[in-house]
Amino acid sequence: MPEAHVIELSDVRKEYLLGQTRVEALRGVSLTVDKGEFIAIAGPSGSGKSTILNMIGCIDTPTGGRVIINGRDIRGMSDKALTRYRRVTVSFIFQSFNLIPVLDVYENIELPLLLQKISDVKERRQRVMHFIEETGLADRLKNKPGELSGGQRQRVAIARALVTKPVLVLADEPTANLDSATGGRILDLMSEINAREGTTFVFSTHDQKIMEHARRLVRIHDGLISGDEVKGA
Amino acid sequence: MVTLTIAMRSLLRRKVRMVLIGLLVVLGTMLIVIGETFSLSVKQSSKSAIVNYFTGDLIIYSERAKDNPSPFSFTTPLPVVPDPHRIEEWLASHPMVEKHVAIAQNYGLLSIEKQGNKYEVPFIFYAVDPKQYRAAFPNISVEEGRFYDTDGGGPEAGVVLSAFQKENYAKNYSVNVEPGDAVTLLSLSDGGSVNAVPSRLVGIYKPKYYTNVFNYINFLDIKSYARLYNFTGVDASSMPESFNRALASESDDDIFGLAGSFESGLDTKNLVSRELSGYTMIVVKLKNPADATAFTGEITRQNSGVKVATWSEASGFFAYISRIIQAVIYGATFLIFLIVVFILMNTLIISVLERTGEIGTLRAMGAEKSFITAVFLWESFLLNGAAALCGMVVSIVLVATIGGGEGILLPDIIQQYLTGGGGIRLLVTVRPFAEALAIIIIVSLLATIYPIKVATAVTPLKAMTGN
Repeated sequence: MPEAHVIELSDVRKEYLLGQTRVEALRGVSLTVDKGEFIAIAGPSGSGKSTILNMIGCIDTPTGGRVIINGRDIRGMSDKALTRYRRVTVSFIFQSFNLIPVLDVYENIELPLLLQKISDVKERRQRVMHFIEETGLADRLKNKPGELSGGQRQRVAIARALVTKPVLVLADEPTANLDSATGGRILDLMSEINAREGTTFVFSTHDQKIMEHARRLVRIHDGLISGDEVKGA
Repeated sequence: MVTLTIAMRSLLRRKVRMVLIGLLVVLGTMLIVIGETFSLSVKQSSKSAIVNYFTGDLIIYSERAKDNPSPFSFTTPLPVVPDPHRIEEWLASHPMVEKHVAIAQNYGLLSIEKQGNKYEVPFIFYAVDPKQYRAAFPNISVEEGRFYDTDGGGPEAGVVLSAFQKENYAKNYSVNVEPGDAVTLLSLSDGGSVNAVPSRLVGIYKPKYYTNVFNYINFLDIKSYARLYNFTGVDASSMPESFNRALASESDDDIFGLAGSFESGLDTKNLVSRELSGYTMIVVKLKNPADATAFTGEITRQNSGVKVATWSEASGFFAYISRIIQAVIYGATFLIFLIVVFILMNTLIISVLERTGEIGTLRAMGAEKSFITAVFLWESFLLNGAAALCGMVVSIVLVATIGGGEGILLPDIIQQYLTGGGGIRLLVTVRPFAEALAIIIIVSLLATIYPIKVATAVTPLKAMTGN
């Protein structure tokens, strides 16, 4: 029996009202993502790539079509169920890092585990320290986000995204605020984790480096998929 | 307790704004604690002075009276208490009663002859059994002469004037009275008739408490009072039966027919004279004031023709002063906390708007709305709780500093109205602190409801755009 897709978007549409103007962000996007994929969704600004990520991450809802995550249609799911999905199944890496400014590195990474109500302190510590080592932040444990460089912040965001062992990591232009060398190292790190842990990564980007790293490149233009290329296929 | 950590550190990030709000809460807390402590202390002191020096715990008075009895008022005298001696005997034998004293409250004129001149001056008085009154109410400080000589078979007859009254006579009538002076008591009645009873001045006194009222009150022995206002008569049981029957009849013929029945004259040798006291109230001090309600019921069951007023009903305006102060304090507190609620609410809303990205991120990470609610509730409670604690500590220090020793000394006229006189000693009790705490909790909740509503309405989508 074939394994179900992790994500299945079927003719997804999204319309916004911008003042009096109706904007079509997505005009019928269909896309499937399987476990362990490392996908880049590329396109110019305003093409709809972030909107696709928002749909997949259940932080936005489509105005048409279906979004099926792990075989479950998100239409009709309650706010509580969607919140639980975001807590357990999916993790985000944001362009602006979105760390909690009042928490230090350790606490920021530990936060998703606390939201999952993992009460075993030892287990939490092990998992946090594992990803702190993995992201090379051991000497920054007690630093607040404001005391870190852009690259260090993004590494904290990656560790935070991975610490819950999610099925899916959604990264919205993760290298956009980083210099080229730091962006490259961050990308290598995510690529390694994908290879070793089998975590599914979906990027929205217009960074050439990410497009080169991705094993599958989905191109989007004006709210429609204009290309879907699996490298090495 | 990650919500507590986030809340605490978020507060520390906005120190200046939070310190300003905190100072307002400190001020509000101090107002509640010190104000309420002051009000409760005034209430306690004034109750103690009123009960111990003027009204006792309960006042028994005639059920025909339309107004409450009051040792503080100088209006038309109340109707006399029926059969006061029997009630006094009953009180004397009752185990709940510590002390009791009967008082007739009235006014008249005092006619004084000095150096060939005759002066008629107004005269408000309590007619009492002096020994009984002084034993019950130690409010008398004798300045000249004495407060009646009670040795040798009963109190002497006469008048004891207040020192203030003596000064007023000197100032307004140019007459200087002294103990030993002969005076004539003149009664006043609705019909204009006047009784004259020769008497003399026994002493001059100063009241210890509530001088603003008691400066105007003088004393008269009860026997002179009975003569002055004709509270003497014939015992009905010694009267011929036909006479009593005719008086009890509503028919004019029966009453005028009495003349015919006694053409040969009334045989007076069989008549028994009866002295009526004219007492208008009997003041009762209980061994345990908590028994007042139970004892009130017993008084009205056991004694017909009377009703009972509590000390607070009998002391009118003076008993309400502490309530008025309390109301003013509550009003001021309400205003301060209304301001705090609005400022805190606005600050929290600004905080929410500044942190939409952070809140959106938390929601995107799967934080429930209850998590966001907890963060903001903690912020509100931490800020207000810490400020309230500071306010309470400062209040305790201030109360101990200014309220100990002789207490708070205010101008005498104010002290007279508040507690009857003397410094106001502040009594530290739990109640003001409990009230402050309850108000802080309510304020924290009220100020947080709307910001929480705004915060929990932030969607995870804000995480994408909020920073």
